[in-house]
Amino acid sequence: MMNKIWLIMLISGISTLIFINPSQVLEAVTQGALDSVNLSMRLVALYAFWLGFFALLEKTGVAGKLAKGLRPLVGFLFPKAEDESNKFVTMNMSANILGLGNAATPMAIRAINSMDDGSGKATLNMIMLVVISSTSLQILPSTVIGLRATHGSAAPADFLVASIIATLVSTFIGICLVKTYGMIGNRLKGRKAKKKALGSLPLMIRE
Amino acid sequence: MSIITRITTYIIPVIFLTILILSFVRKQNGYNAFLDGSKSAINLMVGVFPYLLTIMIAIQVYRVSGVSSVIANFISPAMNLVGIPVELSELMLIRPFSGSAALGLLENIFATYGPDSHIGRSASVIYGSSETIFYIATIYFSQSKVKRLGPAIPFALISTFIGCVIGIFVLQFI
Repeated sequence: MMNKIWLIMLISGISTLIFINPSQVLEAVTQGALDSVNLSMRLVALYAFWLGFFALLEKTGVAGKLAKGLRPLVGFLFPKAEDESNKFVTMNMSANILGLGNAATPMAIRAINSMDDGSGKATLNMIMLVVISSTSLQILPSTVIGLRATHGSAAPADFLVASIIATLVSTFIGICLVKTYGMIGNRLKGRKAKKKALGSLPLMIRE
Repeated sequence: MSIITRITTYIIPVIFLTILILSFVRKQNGYNAFLDGSKSAINLMVGVFPYLLTIMIAIQVYRVSGVSSVIANFISPAMNLVGIPVELSELMLIRPFSGSAALGLLENIFATYGPDSHIGRSASVIYGSSETIFYIATIYFSQSKVKRLGPAIPFALISTFIGCVIGIFVLQFI
């Protein structure tokens, strides 16, 4: 998936630029690389802070308690997850709701690592985590409110209700999609297993 | 609304304070715990960086080339059909890839149409209720061996899109 998107973006971009302004290709590539270094510098500082803070949460026992308190919800969304994954998932969701995307990311990376079964394929729980983070409820999109205020809005926060409804709807639909996908997958697997069992039956009789 | 805004500015400082006091009361070595936690950030970033670089090069080329505005023109009729102002097609297209590029477009929209116009408010809903999905999907898996993401990205895109459509629809009544 990422491979295709990456190639499409680059091929369509470069082939357009060749016609418009070929000198911009190298410039854009270099700029992208430089931007990523700048961003990593900022992110490493933020990740360090949030990972430190998470260690504090763990040490004081708050992380464990929060995970336990939210178990009914997290357990429904992420069935059969280990305690370790549960804790990271809980922290990820809390950070997302508070609008702390940079705190949510390191937690999610750890959650995914703890869910990794080595098959090279994303498990249903991993898909759920990506979908929930992507559609997550944000109480306060402070960036937008700030930008609206600087552009002279009479009511900078008046889109908030609509925005919250939008995220609630998207999260709900996302959860439904992943759950349905999981159910269909299970059913197909069940059918395959049945076929296998039936297929091996005549052989056994022959023997 | 200003009350909500005010309350939310207190949430994070209050959480910080509570945890620090808790660590003091429970006689935990908070200093060492924080230190241990933050240590892992460098290694984490070493793993994440190549992914960041690879995707950001593609995003930059894509942005500069203006392909997104061509595609935006192409899909505008479909956007109009579901009630999203045509002027916002490009914002919808770039938002899943790059937060900063989307912010630039948002600023542009506010400057051109005004933040309180229907277009301005719809743009606020789109930006405020969506995430940089491709960035999330790339970075989250950067430390794992997972190569095939299954339907994670399409599901995230579909649900975000439907959420935005409904959010913009609701906007007319408030």
